[in-house]
Amino acid sequence: MMEELEYIRPGSLEDALTFLEANGGETKILAGGTDVMVDLRAGQIRKRYLLDVSRLEELKGIALCDEGLCVGAGVTISEIDSSGVLSRYAPTLQKCARTFASPQIRNVATIGGNVAHCSPCGDTIPPLVIHGARAVLLSRKGRRDVPVEAIASGPYACSLPSEELIVKFVLKPEPELTFADFIKIGRRKALAIARISLAAMARQAEDGMIDYLRVSLGSCTPTPWRVEEVENFLIGRKPTGKLLWEAGKILAEKTIAITGRRPSAVYKEPAVQGLLVKMLLPLASK
Amino acid sequence: MNQKTVPVRFTLNGESRAVDVPAGMTVVKLLRDVLKLKGTKVGCGIGECGACTILVDGKAVNSCLMPAAQLDERDVRTIEGMASEDSLHPIQEAFLENHSVQCGFCTPGLIMSTKALLDENPDPSFEDISRAISGNLCRCTGYRHVFDSIKDAAQRKAGRER
Repeated sequence: MMEELEYIRPGSLEDALTFLEANGGETKILAGGTDVMVDLRAGQIRKRYLLDVSRLEELKGIALCDEGLCVGAGVTISEIDSSGVLSRYAPTLQKCARTFASPQIRNVATIGGNVAHCSPCGDTIPPLVIHGARAVLLSRKGRRDVPVEAIASGPYACSLPSEELIVKFVLKPEPELTFADFIKIGRRKALAIARISLAAMARQAEDGMIDYLRVSLGSCTPTPWRVEEVENFLIGRKPTGKLLWEAGKILAEKTIAITGRRPSAVYKEPAVQGLLVKMLLPLASK
Repeated sequence: MNQKTVPVRFTLNGESRAVDVPAGMTVVKLLRDVLKLKGTKVGCGIGECGACTILVDGKAVNSCLMPAAQLDERDVRTIEGMASEDSLHPIQEAFLENHSVQCGFCTPGLIMSTKALLDENPDPSFEDISRAISGNLCRCTGYRHVFDSIKDAAQRKAGRER
């Protein structure tokens, strides 16, 4: 008999976890639907159930908590865009929300969905990576925390077991930054799938010395990536334009080392280097 | 794949509706093919053009990306719910009088995005407008007339509310 697609909306987190324990392997989790519905229409989803978690209160909310800065997996990109807490403690995450897709998509798309979809181009991922974010996963067996970098095993390949649900992300709050930015290069301003995205945050001493720096490059490699080589190169130094070009070169070389020299390297190598310089140039003027 | 149906109750342009929808059906398919409201358009079908924009609980969304099952208990407004019996909505008037309509395919979506913007921000700046309609493609007007219309609509609304 042909199986029928079914839509399930659990009334509570408990109900959702119980359902996943029994049917996880046959279930596609649905939140905003902005990726799932496209894949469903293209015939790329062959599951029996759509489990709609978009109304679970337990997945909502942005707040400082005992563990750090907690962002619910069901928080929409619009909610990130307008969050006062994030503008103070995770400004790059907020900045990526401002240019995320379009207003219509931001109103329903969730951060949990953006991460779980495991697109190398997910805009929220570089900001999460620089904040050392971990995803809190729940199942009937209990809780498990996984670094955001470890969720994708490859492009669009999610490594999480099917009985687990991402309920929130815990970020390291960074209130004392002197610099934070997110930039993406796309084919148009709105609705661009990032070709290259970059998130960075820094703290600079009075004399211009960088004493804290976090950098993550998005879209260029199969899975998320914090670029510690660039951080280590710049930390403890007073950046000049020349030094930033060198840092950009390191970033470009490390990127090519991961991806291999593909045809797009002719464009990506100078673009990645230039993007880092463009972003960090305000640090050199100090 | 066959699909089980889901009972959905929602408010559509002020009227209660109860329908059974297939599990994977999109809102725009429900609106156009089942409820026969053809004002909402399908351009790309993947959330890139905004022709299918409607309001759900006052927020602009792409109806081509939303499962109809998610409308349960929601308040939905489409282009058909803009005009009253005897007059157009001020946003519609502004779009007509400022020549924002050429082929007209993007117009319903642009009007719904404008409604979401003006409900939240009655006096939008150029940047506010630019951001609010960034998810709506128009290939005829070059947007100049659209910006003029939205500015004009804001003034008309302010005038009427006085």
